[in-house]
Amino acid sequence: MGLDLNLIAPDLSLAWPQVIVFVTAIVLLFADAFIPRAIHFTTLTAISLVGYIGAAFALFTQHGQNASTFSGAFRADGLTVFLSLTILVAAIATVMISASYLQNGEQVPGPNGELRIANRMPAGEFYVLIAFSVFGSMLVASAGNLIVLYIGIELSALATYVLTAFAKRRLTSVEGAMKYFLLGLFASGILLYGLAWIYGVTGSMDFDQIAFHLSRTGAGDGLGDPALLLGVLLLVVGIGFKMAAVPFHFWTPDAYDGAPTPVTAYMSVVPKAAAFAAAVRLFVQALEPLTDDWAVIWAVLAVITMAFGNIVAIAQRNVKRMLAYSSIAHTGYIMVGLAAYTRGGPIQDQAVSSLLFYLLAYTFMNIGAFAVVTWLQQRGMGMTLDDFNGLASTKPLVAFAMTIFMASLMGIPPLLGFYAKYYVIVAAIDADLLWLAVSVVVASAVSAFFYLRIVAVMYFNQADGAPRAVPTGMLSAGIGVLAVATLLLGLFSSPIIDLADAWSSAQTFLPEAAGR
Amino acid sequence: MDSFPLLSLIVFLPTIGALVLFFLPRLGPEGTRTIALGTALLTFVASLVMLVGFDRDGSFQYRETVEWLPSLGVSYALGVDGIAAVLVVLTTLVSVIAIGWSWDTVRSRHREFFVAMLLLETGILGVFLALDLFVFYIFWEVMLIPTALLIGIWGGHRRVYASLKFFLYTLFSSLLMLAGIVATYQAYFNETGIRTLNILQLQEGQYGTDLQRWAFAAFLIAFAVKVPIWPFHTWQPDAYQAAPTAAVVMLSAVMSKMGVFGIIRYNLPLFEEGADWWAPTVITLSIVGILYGALVALVQQDLRRLLAFSSLSHMGFATLGLFVFNTQGFEGTIMVMVAHGVNSAALFLLVGILERRAGTSDINAYSGVASRMPAFSGYFALFMFASLGLPGLSAFIGEFLVALGAWEANRWAAVGTFMVVIFSAWYMLWMFQRIIFGRAPGQAPDAHDGELTPEEAEIVRTVTADTHGHGGHGHGGHGALPSPAGSGAYLPGGPVMAREDEGGDRSVPNAATRPESTATGATQPAEMAELPDVSEAYDQDVYSDQRDLAGIGRRWPDVTRKEVLLLAPLAVLTIVIGVYPAPIFDTFGPAVERILATLP
Repeated sequence: MGLDLNLIAPDLSLAWPQVIVFVTAIVLLFADAFIPRAIHFTTLTAISLVGYIGAAFALFTQHGQNASTFSGAFRADGLTVFLSLTILVAAIATVMISASYLQNGEQVPGPNGELRIANRMPAGEFYVLIAFSVFGSMLVASAGNLIVLYIGIELSALATYVLTAFAKRRLTSVEGAMKYFLLGLFASGILLYGLAWIYGVTGSMDFDQIAFHLSRTGAGDGLGDPALLLGVLLLVVGIGFKMAAVPFHFWTPDAYDGAPTPVTAYMSVVPKAAAFAAAVRLFVQALEPLTDDWAVIWAVLAVITMAFGNIVAIAQRNVKRMLAYSSIAHTGYIMVGLAAYTRGGPIQDQAVSSLLFYLLAYTFMNIGAFAVVTWLQQRGMGMTLDDFNGLASTKPLVAFAMTIFMASLMGIPPLLGFYAKYYVIVAAIDADLLWLAVSVVVASAVSAFFYLRIVAVMYFNQADGAPRAVPTGMLSAGIGVLAVATLLLGLFSSPIIDLADAWSSAQTFLPEAAGR
Repeated sequence: MDSFPLLSLIVFLPTIGALVLFFLPRLGPEGTRTIALGTALLTFVASLVMLVGFDRDGSFQYRETVEWLPSLGVSYALGVDGIAAVLVVLTTLVSVIAIGWSWDTVRSRHREFFVAMLLLETGILGVFLALDLFVFYIFWEVMLIPTALLIGIWGGHRRVYASLKFFLYTLFSSLLMLAGIVATYQAYFNETGIRTLNILQLQEGQYGTDLQRWAFAAFLIAFAVKVPIWPFHTWQPDAYQAAPTAAVVMLSAVMSKMGVFGIIRYNLPLFEEGADWWAPTVITLSIVGILYGALVALVQQDLRRLLAFSSLSHMGFATLGLFVFNTQGFEGTIMVMVAHGVNSAALFLLVGILERRAGTSDINAYSGVASRMPAFSGYFALFMFASLGLPGLSAFIGEFLVALGAWEANRWAAVGTFMVVIFSAWYMLWMFQRIIFGRAPGQAPDAHDGELTPEEAEIVRTVTADTHGHGGHGHGGHGALPSPAGSGAYLPGGPVMAREDEGGDRSVPNAATRPESTATGATQPAEMAELPDVSEAYDQDVYSDQRDLAGIGRRWPDVTRKEVLLLAPLAVLTIVIGVYPAPIFDTFGPAVERILATLP
């Protein structure tokens, strides 16, 4: 191949969105230090929003591309575009819902029963950490080899560990962050070990080279090769931790519960999206020749995750913990898309499309649900189910938005969550995994118990008193945007599906390389 | 088709009304209900226009098809055949009546109430008109949340329990159907390579035996819960008892028809072999349901529960008629659906009228209503006879045809169903006798003299209040019979009623919408088999509202003008259908023949 000019003079025009987010992070870092106090908060918020929105528009430059640069370490293809879009949507939503929280903190009952402001967070660090975490996650989405993938995951996670501990005077926040940090590091170690084994067996870091190698040699007896088996299992465990799959989920409830709620909203979506990005890149792209072997593992994990998440969520009275278990359950639904990626023509492409679509849908509805919890917390409520009592009579619009999010998480048409679930079920039945489809159906029915309970207390119970008036303009706007998106995007989902289907450009080179 | 999208208009007019209400929060009760009723009326008119332009052949008409999610083969497709046409008009009519009834009976959160009612109407109409399984499923599920809210917010006895039970039952069964839908779609794709969810195309597919059997069951369970078919009915008495009158009218008159309609539109044409295989089971379940519903209705102490079990029994005729697979049975099914729609709507309205006056649906709390409300009793008699299948009134035709069809298929089944007519006469007449006839307790013997003087009223009040004290607490309010003591408790009920000119939301104690009664209701034990403590629930009202005490002894106002306005169309319909059903047969007949032709 000769001298690889690609690495020395990379084609940055392929990486505009990632570059923009990175520049945003750096600018935020300096702005935090130098912007005068009076306009500090406004400026930083504006920089964040402009950066993410600009990056989202810059995704157009990657749309329809199928190219790589940095010697193949960075890929711009359909998968990059869709996953980055999901991550950026989550980032924009997070900035919108956290703005007033950063200014006013949440209200907690003091020793005399009086509400006092607590857990105010430093806006500068918050925005910077979010920006780096977003950058890391986008790096995973566009990774072309094992190293970049790992760096992206670590960057995404490290920032999130710190964010979790941001409510530093609250013990649960520190505890949750500690658990998240230790278990996360442990998982990273396992993941790294798995990556090393894969490299050891195949002799390459590049996904397409790995796939090429496996299709020639390893695929013959599949995971019969113990080294390969060990590597794949380590990868499953490591990524399973990151995406909060059962039985690797133990950090999730504590971390979600302890973290400041806007952070919970963020970390329930973006690191998860990064983990799924890693899963798709690793398994669908690099380990594609071993599909028949790893799909079963994900299928079993998916069923366990759905069942466990939904059943345990029923027992929760604390809404944040309930939503934490709910997000575990949704990991299970998303995993079905991975499990349904089995051999057999054009159908398998749709499995990954359904996974991607679900991730995007989940972004809207889950951040929305946490946004409503934030909204209540800023008024001294929101931690337990009782705080939702009679919300429909005191704050009908917020209650209505929450109903939309809950119904969407439940999978009631015509909301976005229904379409996501529908595609996943179609993918499972496409792959002849009827039992998996039925599991999704049964799990959804079980989940209705606890989602419905929130709706029921909002509408059927008497209000204990009207929530106090706290100015939360950005937050309310964010809730409104997310609710409208959850309500309408499903009905007009055709372009989103097309965009998700474009992911397959990520693998088009593979059959040629493998000579299939 | 490029012509005017009439069906979309019919389906989405209520949605538009709901959106208007949603975005105009400051309308106030007056404006809200005007817009709601206006929307419902417009929808009704639109559906009549559809019916007038409908060609009476077996085809699907007014078809609209728009590509929607092409990569999944989903298109927005609507169309109407004879069966759907009849049910659509029934739906729009019943919606007008239900919303009309809510005009002055909703006491809180008007806007939400009417938004929920209108969304519910959209969902039901969409189910009848969808020609694409995906679109159908969306409409099918869309109505869940409005219905659950209607029961849970504005409901009565154990409203939250009933609401959640209804929701979870329906959701679970519908999700099973979703798996069936996807499996069918996939099987068709494997066979032909075409991705479609259009029901007319899917009907052409040949599906394997296994798929036919289990997918048929998956669809059937979803529909059986809605109908309901025994033993999937247990949500029904609770929901019917708790729901506000307007919602229970929609539930019993229209939503139960969606289940049968689903079987007709989806189960039978898609899975002929599955239908054949499951037919004996469904016939057995239907007959069990017919008998069980009638027998359990006999022992009910609560009017709404009685009507719920009666519905179970009547809808058993509908499913029985379908699965004997002959013309009589099939046409009988549709007639049963139409007649039951009209009669149950009217009967629940009548119960609502009683509840407005006395605040309870407990049968034992009433007697001698005839002497107080003669016109009401007339309507009640009419619909009672119509419902129990008196020849010449609506229900007779359908049930007779079903029995004929069953006789052709299986004589024992026919004997079983004929027998039930006796039971249904028994429970209906007995209920009627207990409520309408008998001596009106506590009423002055010379009631026809008109009003008591204030002094007399004062005496009566003291006396009845005393007896009430003994009766209510001495016997714990559990007197099984309408003894003077026990029923004295509700005598003051007369005056609590609103006169029409008082107009209003405020003055009408409707048990279904009154917070106090729901509070007491919620604490009561699960089954209403023992008498609810009516007197306690009741005197809270009477004594907390002193100004009503002055009017003691006045006769209960008979049906008001507004109530007559709602009842009269149904009364005319039930008679006309009974005497001259030919136009209805002409409308749905060809569609029935088309479907029967595809069956083995």
